[in-house]
Amino acid sequence: MKIVIAGAGEVGTHLAKMLSNEDQDIILLDNDQARLDVIDSNYNLMTWNGSTSSFSSLRDVGVSNADLYIAVTPYETRNITSCAIAKRLGAKKTVARIDNSEFLNPDNGAILKDVGADFLIYPENIAAQEIAVALYHNWARYWGELHNGGLLLIGVKLHGDSPLLDCKLRDLPVKTHDFHVAAIKRNNETIIPNGNDEIRRDDIVYFITTPPFIQEVREICGKKKRIIKKALIVGGSRIAQRFAKLYNEEFHIKIIDNDRENCENMATILPNCEIVYGDALDIEVLRENNIYQYDAFLALTDSSETNILSCLTAKEFGVPKTIADVENLQFLSQAENLNIGTTINKKLFASSHIFKILLDADESNSKFLALADAEVAEIYVKHNAKITKSPVKDLKLPFGMTLAALVRENEIQLINGNTHIQECDFVVVFCLSGTIHKIEKWFN
Amino acid sequence: MPMLLRVIGYLLVIESLFMLIPCIIALIYGEDSFLDFLICAGISGACGGGMMMLKPKTKEMGKREAILLTGMTWVILSLFGMLPFLSVGTHLSVSDAFFETMSGFTTTGASVLNTLIGIPKSILAWRCVVQWVGGLGIILFTLAVVPMLNYSGGMQLFNAEVTGITHDKLRPRVSYTAKGLWGVYILLTILLIVFLSFSKMSFFDAFCHGLSTISTGGFSTSDMSIAQWNSIYLKIVMCVFMFLGGVNFSLLFNLLTGKGGNPFKNTAFKCYVVIILVCYIGFVINILIEGLAENWEYLTIDPLFQTISILSSTGITEPNFHDWGSISIALLLVMIVMGSCAGSTSGGAKVDRFVVLFKFLKTEFYKMMHPSTVTTVTINGKGTSGSVVQKTLAFLFLYVMVICIGGLAMSLMGLPLSDSFFCALSAISNTGLGTEVTGLSENYALIPDAAKWLLSLIMLIGRLEIFTILLLFTPTFWKR
Repeated sequence: MKIVIAGAGEVGTHLAKMLSNEDQDIILLDNDQARLDVIDSNYNLMTWNGSTSSFSSLRDVGVSNADLYIAVTPYETRNITSCAIAKRLGAKKTVARIDNSEFLNPDNGAILKDVGADFLIYPENIAAQEIAVALYHNWARYWGELHNGGLLLIGVKLHGDSPLLDCKLRDLPVKTHDFHVAAIKRNNETIIPNGNDEIRRDDIVYFITTPPFIQEVREICGKKKRIIKKALIVGGSRIAQRFAKLYNEEFHIKIIDNDRENCENMATILPNCEIVYGDALDIEVLRENNIYQYDAFLALTDSSETNILSCLTAKEFGVPKTIADVENLQFLSQAENLNIGTTINKKLFASSHIFKILLDADESNSKFLALADAEVAEIYVKHNAKITKSPVKDLKLPFGMTLAALVRENEIQLINGNTHIQECDFVVVFCLSGTIHKIEKWFN
Repeated sequence: MPMLLRVIGYLLVIESLFMLIPCIIALIYGEDSFLDFLICAGISGACGGGMMMLKPKTKEMGKREAILLTGMTWVILSLFGMLPFLSVGTHLSVSDAFFETMSGFTTTGASVLNTLIGIPKSILAWRCVVQWVGGLGIILFTLAVVPMLNYSGGMQLFNAEVTGITHDKLRPRVSYTAKGLWGVYILLTILLIVFLSFSKMSFFDAFCHGLSTISTGGFSTSDMSIAQWNSIYLKIVMCVFMFLGGVNFSLLFNLLTGKGGNPFKNTAFKCYVVIILVCYIGFVINILIEGLAENWEYLTIDPLFQTISILSSTGITEPNFHDWGSISIALLLVMIVMGSCAGSTSGGAKVDRFVVLFKFLKTEFYKMMHPSTVTTVTINGKGTSGSVVQKTLAFLFLYVMVICIGGLAMSLMGLPLSDSFFCALSAISNTGLGTEVTGLSENYALIPDAAKWLLSLIMLIGRLEIFTILLLFTPTFWKR
């Protein structure tokens, strides 16, 4: 597929790298040559110096035969203009990054679609929703929903009191097979386990399960259910404002920011929230604001370092759930090793969102969810495929993959050793990055 | 490291496949070198196949690996490529054989063979095949055919091998770019061979000259080179294709696919044409002054042929070039350094770089009068960043340094002064001409072995445009 990405900012660059690794034809358009040079010489893609809203440069990059046009400059009006031009010049689908919730309203969306922007992404909005999900399911590190919530991927960090610790997966102390351990993340390494692997303390374990068994998974992980009512937010960034705007009824929200003007501004647009002027790195300020009374601490300033450090401080005060916005991708895995709960990253949200749009457009690609170094794929079982020959336990399947679940006639069921996969099933497979082509031959 | 060896394995297998071409030719002409070539191909194929079996832990390749790989590839391929010269017919010494192969791969076209009479046809063909493969670059060929390299590591290899200050990509993915460039190359080669076989040449000669001309290498199948056939038609055809061999292949690709527009909007191409015309006029004046013009050919096709042959670094000389006098030699030196467009098969410092520097000088002079003016160097109607000028300056400085050090080292080995510097210049520019001892007729048999190894190195430095090879000798490259 030919994809043109306009804007080599953080989201654009990340997306370009990711899609280039997926064997797509990528052209990255920006007017900052210095920024392009770095990417051009290191990645298998083409860069083009030009304005994102200029007819001539869009023609030069060949937008007319592009399958997807993605405008992700920081300016929404420029993105929409650019999509409008690209669409008129012949781009099949267009995606614009916006930062205004008004555009997301279905009625208004139709107008934008008329103009030429087919899909809209609003990274701050996605981030706010992800924060809410993390707060609702606060015992999990990662919460992913597949098939409209029919299948769940839950990542949990195991601490002290779980019966799962130090036992081999085949001797798990459970009778039912209502969940799968799909992957284990241990010190930056992702393991696709088989029966002989053990779960150790401080591993992040990814379970695949269906909604009725969430309770069971939570219990064997030794996690307690906690309902979060009060959230303390540090930093009045755009994500923080968006979150406060969307969820000020579900949660009692207090925002601390160190910019007086911004505080006053927030006070007017967020009447239901408490706004405090102060420096969040100052422990006195946190104490003054009764930090130990809060169930959740969200560090959402523009500085990743500040967010990580203030979350550590909050943990010391005994706040049960902390969430840090870590925008530097390099810090992300460091931050996960520290004990700071959930980390969020706007760029990753935006790019995985666009990735999904892309996958809807390209049916040959079976992947539909990507973690740091593992992939979840849904593969259609073709006629006479090798995998249908016998029940799963008798197949000599390669290492590095787990068959997690299958969808047969719109019904979702988990796969165990006795499952016999049939033609026309959709099978959900968990595997390490880059091994998917080895797996696909089982299904053809 | 296993990753590097694996890629080199692929390259060796490809090389062994190319060795089958002379093998077939030996078979056609009933030469007994058939078996030798088969053995050589077998050895390279087996070594390559063995290396391909390696299972690298990671596919990732950084800048360091890519540069190391590019340098290693050219050396290792020359080592295997010299096997036929050691075993078949010619029985050259190792130094001679390596020199000959490196001279082929880098499309220099300098030879150690005293005479080509009595040399098996298969060997003559192998020399030309080597030049053809080296012309656009064997790594580029591999990028086109081995899907394994179609990721960011391949991009690094592309940057390390393709000539020019900046590298144009034709398409987003490096394998398509490589396929496009090789497509143009193969198309031109086939056209050339067809045109040549309409001349007095036999098909075998047309085939060999086709390969060595489009790659601007200049190996011939006859001692007298193309003077053997003495045909105007032949010269015109060669002129056209040597000229094309000196044009940026991305530009040719765009023209062929109808995306190019006016080629004269391309600054380097325009300058290339202008330089050819100016040098042509220079030669004509020179011939007139010397009173050599016996008939109209002496004023039209001969000087034009000579100009293009040298500028495109093919290095085929007219038989009477010796008599043209000192102005011609001076012009010759300038043209050898100049070379033709970046991204072509030719050598030299490339017209593009001189264009950048001349434009830069113009702005510098302007700035002396108007100090607060802000200027940029514009190429193809677009401004370039200061780093392009800096890189070009560094490149030319190194160019001169390599020539000086190379020339100095060779004069210490006992070669006459003019020879040593001329050889170094000719080697780094991949032209392959020589002067007194080596003779304008391209014969390097007389120079000492050490000088042959040195020249081989200089040729490689010139082909990979200096930085790639010299970087390997810097401490920063090896520091973790």
